Amino acid sequence: MNIDKTVIKETKYVASFVLILSVLMQAIFLILSAFDIVKWDYTIPLGNLYGAALAIGNFFAMAFYVARAVSKEEKDAKQMVKASQSLRFVALLLLAAVGAMLPCFNVFTVVIPLVFPTIAAFLSQLRNKKK
Amino acid sequence: MALAIGIILGCCALGAGICMGIGAVGPGIGEGNAVSKACEAIGRQPEAKGDVTSTMIMGCAIAETTGIYSLVVAILLIFVAPSTFIGILEKTVKTLSESGIKL
Repeated sequence: MNIDKTVIKETKYVASFVLILSVLMQAIFLILSAFDIVKWDYTIPLGNLYGAALAIGNFFAMAFYVARAVSKEEKDAKQMVKASQSLRFVALLLLAAVGAMLPCFNVFTVVIPLVFPTIAAFLSQLRNKKK
Repeated sequence: MALAIGIILGCCALGAGICMGIGAVGPGIGEGNAVSKACEAIGRQPEAKGDVTSTMIMGCAIAETTGIYSLVVAILLIFVAPSTFIGILEKTVKTLSESGIKL
């Protein structure tokens, strides 16, 4: 399986951002637990790990299929991306549901990291605009 | 009480389904269009493939935002909202019965 260099580069960038934002989220949860708003236990970091892995995996799959679609004909590329998007969403929904159902994961820490790659992409676009 | 709980569960499931159904349509169309335009751009300038692919991947990640938000809302509607709403309902019924109002 041949993986495009751009895919690896962008996935590394997004993964580093997800890591930073996860640490920030853990810090917020710790602060909230100090004020007795949230009860801190092992489910919070475990859920965060699971959610972060899902977010990075989803981004990698998206980037991989998009990079592969570029080398195809316009119509085929459109269909391939649509099909990959549908499949990824079903897989993501099922995996997130598993994470929400298992008692060893906190639901909120599973679903919040799914938004982190979007924040990384927004920041990347801003950085490119400034350049 | 059982009817009210049934309505809450039904509405949560319906809301999650509608949320996921509508939310996932936009990213599919958006990503498809972005990739087809990128194919066009690479066809015109093959030497810019790396830059175009990089920008497109990030663009697709942004296009996916609404889908991810709807997924998060659907998960919360299925796994968090029912217990919260049923808790509120039970609390309300208890308060009303304590103050002598019969339902």
